[in-house]
Amino acid sequence: MNQVIVHPERCVGCMQCMAACATAHSRTRQLFSAIRETPLPRSRIHLGTGLYAEGFPNRCRHCNPAPCMLACLPGAIHRDMQTETVYVDPDRCINCASCAMACPFGVIRYHEDASAPPKKAVAIKCDNCMERQQQERVPACVEVCKSGALTFEDNSKALKRKTDQVAQSISAGIDVPQGSPSFTLLNTIKRAQIAVRHAAV
Amino acid sequence: MNYVIIGNGIAGVSAAEAIRQLDGSCGIFMISNESVEPYCRPMISLVLEGTVSASKLPIRGSSFYQSLNITPVLGSRVARMDVDAKILFLSDGKTLPFDTLLIASGADPRPVKAPADLANIFFMRNQHQVLKMLEALPRTRHALVLGGGLVGFKAACGLLHRGIDVTMLIRSGYPLSLQVDEIAGGMILSELTRRGLNVRVGTEVTAFKGINTVTGALLSDGSEICCDLVIIGKGVLPAVSFVPRDRIQVDQGIVVDNHLETTCPGIFAAGDVVESMDIARKTRWVNAIWPEAATQGRIAGMNMAGRAVVYKGSLSRNVIRIFDLDILAVGWVNAPDDPRFTVLSEHNQCLNTYRRLVFEGDSLIGATLVNRIETGGILTAMIQNEIPVRASKEKLLEPHLSLKSLMF
Repeated sequence: MNQVIVHPERCVGCMQCMAACATAHSRTRQLFSAIRETPLPRSRIHLGTGLYAEGFPNRCRHCNPAPCMLACLPGAIHRDMQTETVYVDPDRCINCASCAMACPFGVIRYHEDASAPPKKAVAIKCDNCMERQQQERVPACVEVCKSGALTFEDNSKALKRKTDQVAQSISAGIDVPQGSPSFTLLNTIKRAQIAVRHAAV
Repeated sequence: MNYVIIGNGIAGVSAAEAIRQLDGSCGIFMISNESVEPYCRPMISLVLEGTVSASKLPIRGSSFYQSLNITPVLGSRVARMDVDAKILFLSDGKTLPFDTLLIASGADPRPVKAPADLANIFFMRNQHQVLKMLEALPRTRHALVLGGGLVGFKAACGLLHRGIDVTMLIRSGYPLSLQVDEIAGGMILSELTRRGLNVRVGTEVTAFKGINTVTGALLSDGSEICCDLVIIGKGVLPAVSFVPRDRIQVDQGIVVDNHLETTCPGIFAAGDVVESMDIARKTRWVNAIWPEAATQGRIAGMNMAGRAVVYKGSLSRNVIRIFDLDILAVGWVNAPDDPRFTVLSEHNQCLNTYRRLVFEGDSLIGATLVNRIETGGILTAMIQNEIPVRASKEKLLEPHLSLKSLMF
């Protein structure tokens, strides 16, 4: 089962995933018409900053067991076992914000949405773009990500790749295959800037 | 093996599910004084408000007992119990033997001093009481709500939503004084008065007036108030009347160890009836809230079925939405004035936001947020997991928490 995997070290903070997410969850699914919709479509992926001021795409982890699901009063949050996706049912949601208190990643927002009954604010979070997946398209945030910070792949394969990288980096004498040199440069510059700022203080 | 669960609230239901998951063949009995299927108790105020119908309350559907092969014993209370013979005596004269027992009897509303035997004076604790209120609403012009705690407050909001004139009597200076601090309480109070609520501070009812139905109330300050509906929300008390205190230790609630077992082996307790270790206060405390009841029920159930699972302790937390105000309070928000505790706060009157954080040393132990509450879960997780804050504590006050703000 493929899932969205975040590689924070590759994120440049361009926020294109946010625009793509909002568009994918709009009524018209087109950016130019989406910005004129009411309610205005909003992103379900939230770009924060990471350890070294690099971008960090913060999205629902679809935890198992999901704290939001256990905290939900009306039982509006459920897990689809097949796709490992945690959904909020907008018709059952009472907008009580109990899930805001439970989510350790702060990825749930409360507003009106094209998927919810009109004029009703509900809890909104990532749905793994199930609609797109059913059309055999990858999630919108992954499709639009230019830097490879978001990939859509099998978790075990991604894990294996990372493990191999770590294994290679600790084996002496073997050339460590670098990621893109520009990312390495960018991240090095950011770390250096912060170190300089720290030294100045 | 016979498991008996007293109570069919969320603690009892979660326990039954956990037991059934681990033991497919045992007998499970659930006793409840309510005869309806398990429902979401915190949502009854929304039924009063009229935004949710009573049909939306059930949490597990009508086939809950059947699908888990549970024998429900509905409509009766436990009168007393014999812990040596392992027998429960029910109020209707029946007896029920048990091998392992869970006390999840919840809590009962705290009564008022004034005699309250007239019609249209209600407690708000269960579905039945709210449905009775709904019957009385068409004839209600002016309602009186006693108590500014969560229940009184939700009752008042519900009635205001319906356009009914509401007067609220509170003993302390502002509503929700147990949940929030003075500034947040003031913000709540001003929002409520802006929406038409009359609040009288520092008084209580000495007597109710009326012949069969309530028509008014006499107050301790000598004045008199006209009302045709009264809702009493003076807090709750753990329902422990049937518990033999010489065998099972009861303080404010039933005292449990970190496996939620009482001082009597084989008897467990979960939910509003329990006094457990409070993570923020580091002392025993009754945290009568829904998410703790659900967690405790599940863990107690697993322990009862023989799988030892440790319960970390409870943490008070509440999220309340009233009109245009979102309030989230978690942990020990009203820690006493003591050099042990550091309090940081920020009140932005332009954005109408307020944040107040309480630290003990490096650890966050309490937080109150008014508006912009989306990241409250991160703070809750920090308190719950006792994660020390080594970076600048001021950064935690920012509404947009990020890793960066925590590190630099």
